[in-house]
Amino acid sequence: MTAEIIVVTSGKGGVGKTTTSASLATGLAMAGKKVAVIDFDVGLRNLDLIMGCERRVVYDFVNVVHGEATLKQALIKDKRYETLYVLAASQTRDKDALTQEGVEKVLEDLGKEGFDFVVCDSPAGIEKGAHLAMYFADHAVVVVNPEVSSVRDSDRILGLLASKTRRAERGDGAIKQHLLLTRYNPARVAVGEMLSVKDVEEILGINVVGVIPESENVLAASNAGVPVILDDNSFAGQAYSDTVARILGEERALRFLEVPKKGFFQRVFGG
Amino acid sequence: MNAKMDQQDACDLRFGQVGIANVRIKRVDAAALCEELERRVRAAPQLFSRAAVVLDLSHLLKLPDDGTVDALLEAIRSAGMLPVGLAYGTSEVDALAQRMGLPLIAKFRAAYEPADGGSIAPPAPSAAAAEPPRRAEPVRQEAEPAAPVSTLGAQHYEGTVRSGQQVYARDRDLVVTGAIANAAEVIADGSIHVYGAVRGRAMAGAQGDEKARIYISDFRAELVAIAGHYRVFEQIPKDLEGQSVRCWLEGEKLLIAKL
Repeated sequence: MTAEIIVVTSGKGGVGKTTTSASLATGLAMAGKKVAVIDFDVGLRNLDLIMGCERRVVYDFVNVVHGEATLKQALIKDKRYETLYVLAASQTRDKDALTQEGVEKVLEDLGKEGFDFVVCDSPAGIEKGAHLAMYFADHAVVVVNPEVSSVRDSDRILGLLASKTRRAERGDGAIKQHLLLTRYNPARVAVGEMLSVKDVEEILGINVVGVIPESENVLAASNAGVPVILDDNSFAGQAYSDTVARILGEERALRFLEVPKKGFFQRVFGG
Repeated sequence: MNAKMDQQDACDLRFGQVGIANVRIKRVDAAALCEELERRVRAAPQLFSRAAVVLDLSHLLKLPDDGTVDALLEAIRSAGMLPVGLAYGTSEVDALAQRMGLPLIAKFRAAYEPADGGSIAPPAPSAAAAEPPRRAEPVRQEAEPAAPVSTLGAQHYEGTVRSGQQVYARDRDLVVTGAIANAAEVIADGSIHVYGAVRGRAMAGAQGDEKARIYISDFRAELVAIAGHYRVFEQIPKDLEGQSVRCWLEGEKLLIAKL
């Protein structure tokens, strides 16, 4: 039995890969799937913070790859969802601590353990860590911000996904590519300061699987160690829920693309 | 996949723009050539002493025999410059270069026509004799005697060429159905046709074919080049942006016009 492997990648740093990985993994677990989310950013470990399990990391991904711990010992069970597990990165090692064979073995073992999905949170860049995160993937979620440098880096990543992955090398079908636009601010798009969904889709030649509006709730959720998808009241959380549903094959219309109109009370009392 | 993916390759092989002086011979006189070049070297030793040069025989009415060419090369050497190859000309020059073990430098590809135009018969027969299989098919109307007649057809690329990727069609045309992203490159020895947006670079006639053209259905390119003549677009000209265009060479000038 093998797990579906989803890499969350972008090329550029700071666009929301880890936020997306956490919400995607949580969303899949909410849908009843058994999910492991792995932090590939060895040396700059963050995912455990966003998932709120940083104080429970005993063994990490590098320990497992090197055979210093078993997978069972290193997988951290999420305190909210039974079927969600986190595999943290090592903060004290560097990216060379990962090997292709080691990563492959971990992914295979997760399949044997009955995991439905493995979400790989890629580090920024196109170096070894990013390469290993994407190499075995079946799906790729390419996170992009509505600005030109992020779009170009994503373009580069799309090229690598189509050529430098196991699926590409074996020729057994392309990786399924999903474009996720994050930090979208409709007001700034309206005045031409930001690229629109249409601009980004046109430049990259693929359609978005979701658009996450820029939201203060994302930062607040991250600092609290709660994936933002669990914040039902925020637009960002709802947009992530839609995105996960679309990745699972459901059709949902894009939301939050328009400048929000102020409600009656907000107009009266200010907002 | 190998475990050595992070090892560096032993070398990079790429075509770059290098400055090489071109010695265009106007009359075959080794002694006069040597004298002339010596004067140049003396005048600007920093620039010309041990400078790499290519020998361009295209302006001679008749290609000199091997011994004479040897003498010309020797004249260049004794003047203090270093001949590194022949300029690309007719197939006769190609054959000559092969006999001498010298490279043909495509960038200095000479005009096919003799200097005074028309008074000399094109060297078609010898070319035909030199490459019978290529000449077997009907020659095009203009019958460019030395231009290689491509039997390869075009190379097709389905989809988008992503940033950082490079597609090269050797000895043939290139047809791309998708877009060329920023900082992506498409290169062909023949012409290039792109049915998407070009935001990156398109270089046709990479081996020096000045007849090569570029057709783009949505023009936003950073750079287009034909046979080494290029134009960079820091700003996309407003009248061309997003338009269908063709690019071609007129003499040394790279022209672009809406279709």
